[in-house]
Amino acid sequence: MVNYIVGPAAYIKILFHVSKHPHLQVNGVLLGKKTSNSTVEIVDAIPLLHHWTSLSPMMEIGLDLAGNHAESLGLQLVGYYQACERLDDIALAPVGEKVASKVKQGFEDAVSFVIDGEKIGSDEAALIPYIAQSSSSSWRPSTDPSLFTPGSRFSLSSPDLPSRAVTLVREQQLHRKFGDFDDHLEDVTIDWLRNRAAMPSDLQTVPE
Amino acid sequence: MSLSSALETLANYRAHNSRASQEIVEKGKTILDSNAVSKLGDEAWAFLEQLALAAVDIANYDVADECLRQLVAKFPESPRVDVLAGIRMEATERPEVALKYYDDLLEADSSNAAVYKRRISILVRTGKIEQAVTELTEYLDTFYSDLEGWVELAELYSSCNQYTSALQALSHVLLLAPQNPFYVLQFAETAYTADDIPLAIKMFMLAVDIADRHASEESIPTGASVRAWYGVKLCCRVLLERPSSPSASDTPLPKKLNLIDELATERVLTAYSAAGEAGSAGRELVLSWMGPSDRSGASVHFVH
Repeated sequence: MVNYIVGPAAYIKILFHVSKHPHLQVNGVLLGKKTSNSTVEIVDAIPLLHHWTSLSPMMEIGLDLAGNHAESLGLQLVGYYQACERLDDIALAPVGEKVASKVKQGFEDAVSFVIDGEKIGSDEAALIPYIAQSSSSSWRPSTDPSLFTPGSRFSLSSPDLPSRAVTLVREQQLHRKFGDFDDHLEDVTIDWLRNRAAMPSDLQTVPE
Repeated sequence: MSLSSALETLANYRAHNSRASQEIVEKGKTILDSNAVSKLGDEAWAFLEQLALAAVDIANYDVADECLRQLVAKFPESPRVDVLAGIRMEATERPEVALKYYDDLLEADSSNAAVYKRRISILVRTGKIEQAVTELTEYLDTFYSDLEGWVELAELYSSCNQYTSALQALSHVLLLAPQNPFYVLQFAETAYTADDIPLAIKMFMLAVDIADRHASEESIPTGASVRAWYGVKLCCRVLLERPSSPSASDTPLPKKLNLIDELATERVLTAYSAAGEAGSAGRELVLSWMGPSDRSGASVHFVH
C-alpha cells in the first residue's frame, strides 16, 4: 500500500483555486515525488482550468507545460484534482478520469482528489481521494474508512492545514491573487505555475 | 464607507454583471440598515434585486427575505419578482418544491423565459442532464435568440461527451454572435475534443482573425488571440505528426501547415517577450514545449 502526504503549498493552492471560482468546475495537477517505496509526498499544485473543463486542447497544453515545469524542479506530476459546480457532486467526471489516467501513465501511483464542498471551510481535509482500478482506466473513491486520520493512507503534512487555508482565504483573501492556466492564457504575466503573489511568505518556494 | 460610494460600486457591479456576492452584501446591508432605500428613487428596485440575489448566494437569508418583502409590496404581480422568490425558495426548499412552484408560474403565464431557465438549472443541478437537455432544446425552439441558452446547451452536451451535438449548438451561437472570439474559441476547442483537428485549426485561425481584427500584423497578441495561437500551435503539431487526420465535417487541411506552425510559435513567444520580466520565466518553458525536439510523442493526446 502506498501512502500519500499532502503538503501545505499543495493543499492551500487547491483551496485557493476552489475559493476563487466557487460557482465553477475547476481542475489542476499535483506535483511531488516518491520518497521511499511506499510514500508519495505531494508538495505542490498547479491549477489548470476553470472555463471549459470538458474540453481538452488547453488541458493538453497545460499538462505538458506543468509536467516540464515539475521536471525542472526535480519533481513529477503525481496526481490530479478537481472541484465540481455542485456542492454535493463528488464524482470524478469523465474528463477527470482521462486526465488522471494520463498522469498515471507517467507515474504509476498517481492519485486524484475531488474537493468535498461540504468540508471546505471546516478544519477537516476537504479532499476525497480516488484511486485507479488496476484492471481498467476507471477510478474509484478510496475505501479507506478513516481518511486523513492517524493510520490512514492519506495524511496532511500538518493537521492544521485546512484551518490555515480557510484563514488565508477569509481574512487575507489571498485567493483573489491566485491564477490558473486559463487566466494565464488571457494575461501571460499571471504566474500560474508558482502563484507566488498569492502564497504566504513561508511558502514562496517549493521544498526540495 | 460612505453611502454614495457604496451605491456607486453596486451600480457598477450591476452594469458589469459582477457576481461579487460577498462585497455586494457587505455594502448593500449598510444601505438596507440605514433605511436609505426609499431615498434611492427608481434605482431602489434594481438595488434590492441585486442584494437579494447576492444574499441568497452567500446564504444570508434574512437580508434576502427583507429585500423580497419590499419588492413584493411594491410589485405584487411582477413576473421578475416571482422568479426572484423562486430563487430564494431553491436555496432552502427541496428541488421538487421549487420545480412545482415554477410549473405553476408557467401554467399562469407561459411566456416568462426566466422561469424556464430556472427549471432547467434545477434539473442540471440535481443531475437530471438528459431532461435538462430536452427542456432546454424545447425552450430554444421558442426563444431561439437566447444566446446564453445555446451556450448552456453546448456545455451540457460537452459534459456528457456528446461533442458533435455540442458543435451543433455552438453553430447557433456563432450565427447569433459571429464577432465574439470567445465563442469561436469554444467552437474550436470543442472540435479539437471531438477529434476533428482540421475543423479545430480552421476555427482557431478564425478566432485569431476576429481577436486581432483591429490590430496591426506586428502587434502583440493579447487575450483571446494568445489562447487561439496556442490552439493553432497544438493543431499544427497533431497535423504534422498525423497528416491524414480524420474530419467528420470534411474540412480540408490548410495549405502551408509548416508556415502556420512557425507563425504560431513566433506569435505565442512574442506575447511572452512583450510581457517583459514577468513573461520571461514562462517564455523559457513555452520555448522548450514548442521546440522541434519535443515532437517525440512525449506530448499528451487524450482523444487519439
